[in-house]
Amino acid sequence: MSSKEAPIKESPMCTTKGLGNYLWNDPPDENKWADCVHCGMCLESCPTYEQTGMEQHSPRGRVYLIKSVAEGKLEVNKQFMDPVFACLDCRACTTACPADVDVGGLIEEARGQIRQAMPLTGVKKAVNDLFLKGLFPHQNRLNAIGSLLKFYQKSGMQKIVRKTGLIHIMPKHLVEMEAILPEIKEPVRKKYKNEMVIKAKGKAKHEVGFLTGCIMDVMFSDINQSTINVLTRNGNNVVIPKNQTCCGALHVHAGDRETGRKLAKQNIEAFEDCEKVIVNAAGCGCMMKEYPELFKNDPEWHKKAVEFSKKVEDISKYLYDTGYEKPKAEIKTRITYHDACHLAHGQGIRQEPRDLLLDIPGVEMVHMPNADRCCGSAGIYNITNPEMAGAVLKSKMENVPEDVEMISMGNPGCMLQMALGVQKYGRNQKIVHTVQLLDWAYQKEDEWKNRGD
Amino acid sequence: MAERRIQSDDKHIQNLAAIVGGEHSILYHKEDLIAYDCDGFTLHKHLPKAVVFPKNTEEVAKLVKYCSDNQLPFLARGAGTGLSGGAIPINGEVIISLVRMKRLLNVDLENRRAVVEPGYVNLKLTNSISDKGYYYAPDPSSQYCCTIGGNVAENAGGAHCLKYGVTTNHILGLEVVLPNGEIIEIGKNGILDTPGYDLLGLLTGSEGTLGIVTKIIVRILKKPEAKQTILAYFDKVSDGSQAVSDIISAGIVPAALEMMDKIAIEGVEAAAFPVGHPKDIEAMLLIEVDGISAGINDQINQILDLCKKRNVREVKVAQNEQESNRWWANRKTGFGAMGAISPDYLVQDGVIPRSKLPEVLDRIQKVSEEYGLRIANIFHAGDGNLHPLVLFDARIPGESEKALKAGSACLKVCADAGGTITGEHGVGIEKKEEMRFVFTDEEIMAQTNIREVFNPNNLLNAGKLFPTPARCVEIKKERKVSHERRKVGTT
Repeated sequence: MSSKEAPIKESPMCTTKGLGNYLWNDPPDENKWADCVHCGMCLESCPTYEQTGMEQHSPRGRVYLIKSVAEGKLEVNKQFMDPVFACLDCRACTTACPADVDVGGLIEEARGQIRQAMPLTGVKKAVNDLFLKGLFPHQNRLNAIGSLLKFYQKSGMQKIVRKTGLIHIMPKHLVEMEAILPEIKEPVRKKYKNEMVIKAKGKAKHEVGFLTGCIMDVMFSDINQSTINVLTRNGNNVVIPKNQTCCGALHVHAGDRETGRKLAKQNIEAFEDCEKVIVNAAGCGCMMKEYPELFKNDPEWHKKAVEFSKKVEDISKYLYDTGYEKPKAEIKTRITYHDACHLAHGQGIRQEPRDLLLDIPGVEMVHMPNADRCCGSAGIYNITNPEMAGAVLKSKMENVPEDVEMISMGNPGCMLQMALGVQKYGRNQKIVHTVQLLDWAYQKEDEWKNRGD
Repeated sequence: MAERRIQSDDKHIQNLAAIVGGEHSILYHKEDLIAYDCDGFTLHKHLPKAVVFPKNTEEVAKLVKYCSDNQLPFLARGAGTGLSGGAIPINGEVIISLVRMKRLLNVDLENRRAVVEPGYVNLKLTNSISDKGYYYAPDPSSQYCCTIGGNVAENAGGAHCLKYGVTTNHILGLEVVLPNGEIIEIGKNGILDTPGYDLLGLLTGSEGTLGIVTKIIVRILKKPEAKQTILAYFDKVSDGSQAVSDIISAGIVPAALEMMDKIAIEGVEAAAFPVGHPKDIEAMLLIEVDGISAGINDQINQILDLCKKRNVREVKVAQNEQESNRWWANRKTGFGAMGAISPDYLVQDGVIPRSKLPEVLDRIQKVSEEYGLRIANIFHAGDGNLHPLVLFDARIPGESEKALKAGSACLKVCADAGGTITGEHGVGIEKKEEMRFVFTDEEIMAQTNIREVFNPNNLLNAGKLFPTPARCVEIKKERKVSHERRKVGTT
């Protein structure tokens, strides 16, 4: 400590809503850090600690900082914000922790306080508002962007922009991302907008609600289509409730818990009549299972959120638990599997997707070392913290086995980031979602049958 | 992290930053330093002056020389998982963090040795050579994240020390930066038992008070051909500890022989890696035997019989590696797991003659009652290394002090039973006063005299390992030192 800095305050400030130097409603939960005994078992699990070696960029350090603000030793300021916002929110520390400390929850609560203490200004605010408030919660606007992107790709404009060098007006990391934009197809919400229920093939055993996601349905509508195909093939009627919206994960990660609550309420109501809510994006699934966290101080909505969270299930786990038809057609390929953080660490789903993939005849799976290490996508982290995201991606790519043709995973953010990695490091793997492979196997089987007829 | 310039007028901060190559390798803001105000021992806290991250031995030497020339107290830190406070900057030290020196420099399977930098994580060494059939034996429970440099400083042990020995038995050579900035090598080329004094033995376990280790040559071992793990539940602690004695007396040397008591079991079962131990037993034994395949089953059967003779409630052999791994994960995360049943804990580290265990546990129970704090016990039963875990809540005024006293009382119990005050965690800040339980003032002074040879100005990790001088002889000595220090300071 340099001699100029203010001495540590002895007594915490007392306010009615806050806690210590957290002055706003919904401060980090004291009981969450009370579990941390500072043992350090989390250090090696943390990608940002691996990169920096600095303890304020480790789970233990972050928890300690968050606790220090409550104890009045630190204030909510820029120096405090840096490590809290540099967290990838990958939850690997939650897996490593012997005492089950909810580091992710603490980080999100602390971000909520930071955003209220230091509201974004200028360009950052404009960008934040545009994406998080103006875009993600509005499906029609997202679809419009999707159409624009489609036009950009199909009209030849993409080629022009790339050739003329116009593309270089963007920052480097955005240029890299432009290059891996998936081909935009029709969103499933548009396609099925007139169908109340998408009927199961054959006898219906269950009826499930399906979260189509915000970005997912624009950028990866083919994965949504595959999800519907796989669900209906296995005896599920699929309902896509009209008033569903973005899950709010990106807002909560960014510290905008108020918008997070708004979106959560809308989804809880939208899926009220569904017995199950099937999700194919690990980040969304994890967020929706954690809705109760957002309503700690609101008993009425907390209860609804608890009920709702029990209905949420990832597609791979749902298929695994309810049973699925093993595909008969062979897909001869060598693949590897990447554990999305919010699937493995966030929801404890590791074996189910692997088993699903291994049930496809011809699929050979090569082990990826550190498969459950974050790829650096982390929601929009790769846009907000490109330098760190790049470093994390580099060490991820070093672990991707050389001799595989595909990398399978269960989260769209990871898919974009891994596609970026493949492109950037001159690799040639195809990036696929677990359900896509399963869907392709079913399709191949049907082609067989048709030919046979 | 955004680029930032050094925002400090302090010339020392600027000069230190210049040595390590700029702002990405130094911390000096209060918010960044606070994570370094303690290590795995949380009852003493103090902010460091700065934390610096050297990349190589030369930078370490320059940093040390700078601190030494400018009379800045300094110390080395690894992962900060130490349990006795050895890396806590109680004098506002400059912390030299070695975590970025984390390379595995060389593996020499033929001569069964490896060369690592101090920030290399213990378990990574085993992981990187295990496919070739080798491993690094010392396995402290924090091996997932603790550094080998820290292991050398503390002479770390682990569950498998019973058969394979502690860190000092696996160190073949060291490169050390002395407190004046000079770089020396001890045990060159990793040749065993060089003539002259055993400096390797002296440095290993010196708790960072004699020098900063920058390179380590370690011994690596061939993995045992076969391995079996046994779990046994006892209704009485006395039966469990008697079974331990019986196993050792029968001439079996298990690779590990661990015990947990009722409260410890409650902790691990409430935490992240439960295995379903019954909650009403008083003692659990985890026993591992290893060696060549032939004969291992005889050993297993012999152990099963010995347990049955001591009224074991249930005893079983792990069916496969997964099951054994589950049992070990449950045991190895035992300390951290206390977080699940208590906001804070203080782990103690006494050593006792094995035969005294039931008696010692009774007396620890009395300490627990006297201070009104629960105490769990995790025990490396085979070598008599007992870890009483004092559970407390630091938010309750006065409870931290009470926990410290209870911990000290536990160590007194161990010392009185003919044992000692630390088996593997080191003395640090935590147990320095308790050194008086086992050493006379003269014996302590003899040791501080040795420290003076290496660390004459006591700038490196001062105030650790030995109690603050109580007698006039030592006070005189300290005066002399501080007088000398002043002299250096003015030149």
